[in-house]
Amino acid sequence: MASRFFRSATDSESETDSSDNDSFISDEELSSDEDMSDADDDLKRDDQPKKNRFLKGGSDSDADSDDEDGGRRQIKSQKDKRYEEMESCVKTIENGEKNNDWTLISNGKCLTYDFIFLFFTLLVLQFTAEFDKLNKLMTKAQAGINGIVTPKFYIKCLVELEDFLQEAAQKEKAAKKKMNANNAKAMNAMKQKLKKNNKSFEDKIEQYRKDPDSLEEPAIIAVVATKKKSKNAFLAGSDSEDEGAPGSSTPAIDDAEFTTVGKGGKAVAEITSENLLQKLREILEARGKKSTDRNEQIVTLQRLLKDATSSYQSIKVLLALISSRFDANLSMTGYMQVELWRSVEKEINQLLKIFETDPSFYVFEVAEDFDDEDKDIIAKPGQPIGLRGSLISFVERLDDEFTKSLQNIDPHTTDYIDRMRDEAGLYAILVRSQVYFEKHNLAASIGRVVMRRLEHVYFKPEQVISQMEIATASVLGDHVKSSIITATDPAELVHQLCTYLYQQDVSVLRTRAMLCHIYHHALHQRFHVARDMLLMSHLQETIHQADIPTQILYNRVMVQLGLCAFRDGLIKESHSCLQEVQGSGRPKELLAQGVQMQRYGQPVAADQEQLERQRQLPFHMHINLELLECVYHTCSMLLEIPAQAQAGPNNKKVISKTFRRLLDYNERQAFLGPPENIRDHIMGAAKALASGEWEKSRDLIMAIKIWELMPNTQHIKDMLARKIQEEGLRTYLFTYASYYSTVGLAQLSKMFDLSTVNVSSIVAKMIWQEELSASLDQVTQCVVLHQVEQSRVQQLALQFADKAVNLVEQNERLLEQKNAEQRPEQQQQQKDRRGNKGQPGNQQNRNAVSGQRPFQQRTGGRNNFNNVFGNAVRGGRTQSARR
Amino acid sequence: MATSLPSSEPLHTVQLDGLVVLKIIKHCRESYPVDVTGQLLGLDVDGVLEVTNCFPFPSSDDDEASAQYQLDMMRCLREVNVDNNTVGWYRSAHLGNFMDLNLIDTQYNYQNSLSAQSVVIIHDVSKSAAQGNLSLRAFRLTEAFMKAYEKKTFTTESMIKNKLTLSNIFDELPIQVHNSHLVTALLHDLDSPVADANRLPSLTTFTSTQKTATLAEDNAPLAPNLEVLDLELDPFMQKNLENLLDCADAQQQEHNNYQYWQRSVAREQTKIQAWLTKRKQENAQRAQNGQSLLPEDEVNSLFKLPTEPSRLESMLLNAQIHNFTKQLNQFAGPSLGRLYSVQELQK
Repeated sequence: MASRFFRSATDSESETDSSDNDSFISDEELSSDEDMSDADDDLKRDDQPKKNRFLKGGSDSDADSDDEDGGRRQIKSQKDKRYEEMESCVKTIENGEKNNDWTLISNGKCLTYDFIFLFFTLLVLQFTAEFDKLNKLMTKAQAGINGIVTPKFYIKCLVELEDFLQEAAQKEKAAKKKMNANNAKAMNAMKQKLKKNNKSFEDKIEQYRKDPDSLEEPAIIAVVATKKKSKNAFLAGSDSEDEGAPGSSTPAIDDAEFTTVGKGGKAVAEITSENLLQKLREILEARGKKSTDRNEQIVTLQRLLKDATSSYQSIKVLLALISSRFDANLSMTGYMQVELWRSVEKEINQLLKIFETDPSFYVFEVAEDFDDEDKDIIAKPGQPIGLRGSLISFVERLDDEFTKSLQNIDPHTTDYIDRMRDEAGLYAILVRSQVYFEKHNLAASIGRVVMRRLEHVYFKPEQVISQMEIATASVLGDHVKSSIITATDPAELVHQLCTYLYQQDVSVLRTRAMLCHIYHHALHQRFHVARDMLLMSHLQETIHQADIPTQILYNRVMVQLGLCAFRDGLIKESHSCLQEVQGSGRPKELLAQGVQMQRYGQPVAADQEQLERQRQLPFHMHINLELLECVYHTCSMLLEIPAQAQAGPNNKKVISKTFRRLLDYNERQAFLGPPENIRDHIMGAAKALASGEWEKSRDLIMAIKIWELMPNTQHIKDMLARKIQEEGLRTYLFTYASYYSTVGLAQLSKMFDLSTVNVSSIVAKMIWQEELSASLDQVTQCVVLHQVEQSRVQQLALQFADKAVNLVEQNERLLEQKNAEQRPEQQQQQKDRRGNKGQPGNQQNRNAVSGQRPFQQRTGGRNNFNNVFGNAVRGGRTQSARR
Repeated sequence: MATSLPSSEPLHTVQLDGLVVLKIIKHCRESYPVDVTGQLLGLDVDGVLEVTNCFPFPSSDDDEASAQYQLDMMRCLREVNVDNNTVGWYRSAHLGNFMDLNLIDTQYNYQNSLSAQSVVIIHDVSKSAAQGNLSLRAFRLTEAFMKAYEKKTFTTESMIKNKLTLSNIFDELPIQVHNSHLVTALLHDLDSPVADANRLPSLTTFTSTQKTATLAEDNAPLAPNLEVLDLELDPFMQKNLENLLDCADAQQQEHNNYQYWQRSVAREQTKIQAWLTKRKQENAQRAQNGQSLLPEDEVNSLFKLPTEPSRLESMLLNAQIHNFTKQLNQFAGPSLGRLYSVQELQK
């Protein structure tokens, strides 16, 4: 050990080096917090010189501590060890003095200093450990150290050294040549150090000089008091600190007599039954005041909790303790420390357990407050007493803090996974508190807690949910059974949770429940159920008025729905679902999976960015954006390529703008390397598809690795291959129809590797939809193509019709805007009258007037969700309107 | 060069000499796809602008050279004692696409600096060819428009004030074609049936047996013209539609500009409003504290509304579109009649 000290001793700054200190504290794992605080207290009391009656020798204290429990003995012996080491250091110094070897002394001295400092820092750290490692307390503890008496021999050593130095200096003057340069240098350094160090011990040194006996007995810690006593003494001490008055009325500290401590302890011990509630009230009154130290409060409350006997007391203390724990972290950005969180979790569980075992109390928000708080209350049997408090807010806060910590922890570390493990406990608390609310029939709270529960469940696959349910059931045991949520089957569970929420009065809960339900359906491949729910709820019409988290949830639902449709092979539906989010170009932001750094070339305001950060989803809830993009572009490809082929080279009808842009960009490239990323693959596939090489297109799409992320990869790949064949056939027919007069079905089926039946069904469909002017000849099994070409005049006339429509629309919009400007009050009425019909023009107009708020702007586009599924009919119109 | 005669009466008619008409037609047709211009010479007498001569401008890009040519030409004409008083100019057009800033600018210059009685004659080559009717129109800028153009401001407000619409940019004047008696006599002489059929190559559709019988009738001034029975409708429609599309595009562009302006105005106005309310609050507070009030009219110096884009362009485009659609209508009506009659005939 000495060698370790020595090593760190060379580092003169080691007292501030926390890593060094950590290594020391790890040596003392056995010493509990309590013991250290005892030591602290006792050290404080050692200021009084009378109180060291059993400090006649180190062995004395050893013997004493032998009587105590093992843990204390451990620390004693460590302290002794330190003293021994210090003494040995002093001895080295003395030896050095004799030898007049300054280098050695200097080193030795350094060593002792550092040792002392380390010792102090250790204490500091122990304080810190106890008081939650806060810097503020660090300084406080260090202030306390000044009060701690330094071992007498140390002072003595200091004095002797000083004297010796003076002597040496005089000698040196006399015989300067004797000393070598090294020695002189070391001596000077020593002088400086000593001077600096002695300053802090000035009074001690003076005292010693005056009367060397007064400090004769080394001031070592006295631990005679029993554990309970010392604890009470501590309690009293911390209480007096709470009140902020050094000379507090509590007798324990002021009284110099050791026996009084015992008395005081006794007096405190009585608190357990009566004064506990008084103390609690004192603490509660101090809560929120500036001078109050929150961490101290927590510690005090913890102690009170231990002493609480009746369930009333426990409940009261727990309520106070949990809220003060939540108080400990005030900043908006940071998150609650994990240990702190866990202890809150534990305490909430404890609280719930009390409620479960003792039916005479329950907590709700609007309960009457008792006047005589200081008395213990025992309920009459059969008449439960309501206490004021809000369990639901605790539970919600706990959940929020959990989310916050997940937001802040790097998701690629094991920390994140460790943190995720806590979800099981949290979920259990949710279920448990739900049962509690049911028992006491607190409807509003049930709704909220069920919502929380649903939010932990809805985005998970069924296997995970059932695992979670099993784990929860095992944690909670049999006696905790909900009456409203009885299902164990995951799908049924989600259904019950949602249907319960549908009956709630609060519309936000209903909306969110609906969205979660849809999400869950979509996640589990029930596209049509999900879609019908979405359409029947008419959420898309009002969602732009909802709060932003709900809008985010809505976006998530849409995306999930799109992915679900894609897995089912419903390309068109998938595309129209994904269009809004992915087509906007900022899916990351819309899904709250990332913060956009810049908007329109200017950085986002700091407060907005922070708000956005708070809305971020934890990583495990994310939807893979790359997969999303891939799906979106694949859908776009399957829709856009045949449409392009059909409309000819210079058509203006765009299905997917982003895809179009990418394709155009890709076509402009002079040289094309082999595809590297997903986009390259899809672009290559699109080009191959356009030129009729469906096999190449298929191979390119299949080469994308991200499909592996989808469940049932093979199924999806098969679906895609088939789609590519079909769309390839369609594209081919559109492109080359004008060059054929007849095409044999057999030929087509050979070209695209489709069965003749399939080919004829596709062709029939095209004919029926008037995409292809042809007819099927059943007898000869071929497609007879009619060559109808628009004359130039017809073409132009059609174009002009389009243009005219556009022009008229634009004109109307202009007029509307102008009217709005001239008569703002009328426009207001107009807007009200329109209600939420969601006229794109009006919406844009409002945005323009009221300045561009980021999410409001988004809602402008949101209106177009009206026709998510009716896009075929009205898609063109909204497109032009948005342009 | 400028006219020395006082403009006693407002013009009511333009009288073109046959020579002028022929010269204009010749010049315009020869350089068909390109638009060309030329100078009109003559005199206005009692509200009738008599145009007796004209000469084409060279179609070179060099402004100085063409100005020089113009001067030289005038000088030469004066030397040979021909009318050399400038009374306007002419230009060719295609299907009525003449309404543009260029035309207005030139005409403004003519009316403003040369003579208040100047006119512009528009010869629509394509239309004349397509429908077989000579299309010659004479225009002048209206007084109101002249005034507005002088100020160069074409905001909505000023247009409302001056009551400017697309229909009153120009005054159209009736055109009379006038021939000297000698020429009329010659024409009558040419009309006589003695004329040699070979000199009239346009009558190829008739067989030689009918030649002599029909010659006189066909050559009479108002002889029935077979060109009106032409069933080839597409080129004309097509051309018209193309022009329309271009116009629509341009108009859309104008719309966008205007909309952009509107938006920026709105933005600026909200800013102003915000500033004003802030200032008002401040003043209220100051009034409470007994301090002197801050002026509120600073707002005008602090903020500046963006200037409205000129509406002239969009108005011209409107006029243009109006022209095209009118032409289409005029063309489509008789064409439909022809088509139906053909249908009947084919039964």
